[in-house]
Amino acid sequence: MSEPFLQVRGAVKRFGGLTAVNDVSFDVRRGEIVSIIGPNGAGKTTLFNLLTGQLKPTAGDVSLNGQVINALPPERRARLGLGRTFQIAKPLLTLTALENAMVGSFLHHSRLHDAEAKAHQMLIEVGLDRRAHVRAAQLTLSERRRLEVARALALEPSLMLLDEVMAGLNQSEVQDSIDLFRRLNGAGLTFLIIEHNLKVVRAFSERVIVIDRGAKIAEGTAEQILTNPEVVTAYLGRRRG
Amino acid sequence: MNSDDLATADPSPNRPAGGILPWRRVALLYAVGLLVTLVPLLLLSRNFFWLNIITYTYLFAGLAVAWNIIAGFGGQFSLGHGVFFAIGAYTTARLFLDWEISPWLGLLPGAIACAVVGPLIFWPTFRLKGSFFAIATLAFNEVALVLANYLESVTGGPRGLQVPFRAAFKNMIFTDPRAYTVLMFVFMAIAVGISIVLMRSRLGYYLLAVREDEDAARAAGISVIQVKLRATALSAALTAIGGGLFAMYIRTIDPLTLFSLPDIGVKFALLSLIGGMGTITGPVLGAFLIIPLESYLRAVFGGSGPGVHLILLGFVMLLAALFMRRGVAGAIDSLRQHWRHRRSA
Ligand SMILES: Nc1ncnc2c1ncn2[C@@H]1O[C@H](COP(=O)(O)OP(=O)(O)O)[C@@H](O)[C@H]1O
Ligand SMILES: [Mg+2]
Repeated sequence: MSEPFLQVRGAVKRFGGLTAVNDVSFDVRRGEIVSIIGPNGAGKTTLFNLLTGQLKPTAGDVSLNGQVINALPPERRARLGLGRTFQIAKPLLTLTALENAMVGSFLHHSRLHDAEAKAHQMLIEVGLDRRAHVRAAQLTLSERRRLEVARALALEPSLMLLDEVMAGLNQSEVQDSIDLFRRLNGAGLTFLIIEHNLKVVRAFSERVIVIDRGAKIAEGTAEQILTNPEVVTAYLGRRRG
Repeated sequence: MNSDDLATADPSPNRPAGGILPWRRVALLYAVGLLVTLVPLLLLSRNFFWLNIITYTYLFAGLAVAWNIIAGFGGQFSLGHGVFFAIGAYTTARLFLDWEISPWLGLLPGAIACAVVGPLIFWPTFRLKGSFFAIATLAFNEVALVLANYLESVTGGPRGLQVPFRAAFKNMIFTDPRAYTVLMFVFMAIAVGISIVLMRSRLGYYLLAVREDEDAARAAGISVIQVKLRATALSAALTAIGGGLFAMYIRTIDPLTLFSLPDIGVKFALLSLIGGMGTITGPVLGAFLIIPLESYLRAVFGGSGPGVHLILLGFVMLLAALFMRRGVAGAIDSLRQHWRHRRSA
């Protein structure tokens, strides 16, 4: 329990001369909800991609459950229980919403109808069940975001990485998502989320990590962070319109 | 295209349920579909000109279905399947000629060889995308053609192999040409059956995911390379079996026939494109349209100069490319959705 579930130590990512992630370390414990905030271009998505294996770190270590996973490709990390969404949703366009979710649920359900049942359940969770048989290409942006969540949840992950999944959702959809994530968290799912909406951050997360220009500049409870003057200037001062 | 928009606009909560059909429904559809494809055989079985065309239609329907597994479902547009076709043809013929191994058994070593060789030669090319992959696999076909001409002891070189006419069931050589037609029909039925089972399996779904978005597939725990290699093995093995059957049907095989792009390697792709790639019925539809049309045009216009039938065929394909982007199967699907919308409106 005391052992951190996800451990990031000295993570660095350079793109040529640009240091997108600069020596970031933090822990996420099992059952926590941790938010990452920071201005646009701070390196949040890049940091995420180091955790999911989408990108290889220039330096540093990522461990899950005490096991260093630096060398593992994204699919192996997914099988270890790491579910993720992409900031720019990646729906499988010619597949229906149900089939999209089934691509996730097949990980733990090899039989067709079991995978279908699990996928359908996930669509209900995100409120897409009425669109189950519509091709993903025909879904709205907000529906695609929710489909992204459904496909990741269908993996039955133990850690969910969500990259701005609330962007583009209306207020009631945001509330529905928060309720869903709270419920899943109650059932033991750990969350690491990148979020721009500070109301969501305040309402939802137990701990907040602030990234600015690739570096971690603060970490604490939502209350501490959102009143921290350094954070306010770094983040709120240059907040995107 | 427009029908897609219509489907989005459809607000009806009683939208006909899509979803995953139960096995019994699938089996029924499969049986009905096969019966429909039997109709031309039953109608024309006395006409040897047409019987030969129907035989080729079944064979190429099966081959297009096999190609479609990796190319249509997996998005890997191979133009190198002529290699697997040729390996199947040479293996079956050679085993029969040298050791009198019954082609019924002789089909298998070729299939197994291709299930191994296919993934091996495609492996390095899978990092290439789109047309680069297609061109690289096309190069395999050309290299294999040169090798086949050169390896005389195996392939008989440019002169090829001749299988003597010794009619017997165990030799897969028949005096009644209808036996070949039935044989090719069974091949097609098996290829379609395998496709159906595949697309209701985890591997089938993973193939589609890989085709649509490799990053999303990886994030769902899918090993992209493994999925591509497995589908290649299946696709190549089925293609080899088609090659073996072809060898026993025409009983004279040479490199220029087996590695012909318009008649073999590219043909699989064309049939699937016309019929509708990435669907189960598409490649079959494509074969049923194009093989008879091509044979007919060849017979009718063959005398008026070489290539006239090819020009006409090319014209048909151009029209299909312009007006049926998703092939015949796609066009039918659009019409159905359009119709459904009209009814529910
Ligand atoms: N693949 C890449 N190649 C080069 N630069 C990149 C790449 N991905 C991100 N960057 C740069 O890294 C910085 C951080 O980007 P990103 O992680 O997307 O920020 P955030 O998610 O916090 O908005 C930006 O300056 C961005 O332009
Ligand atoms: Mg980002």
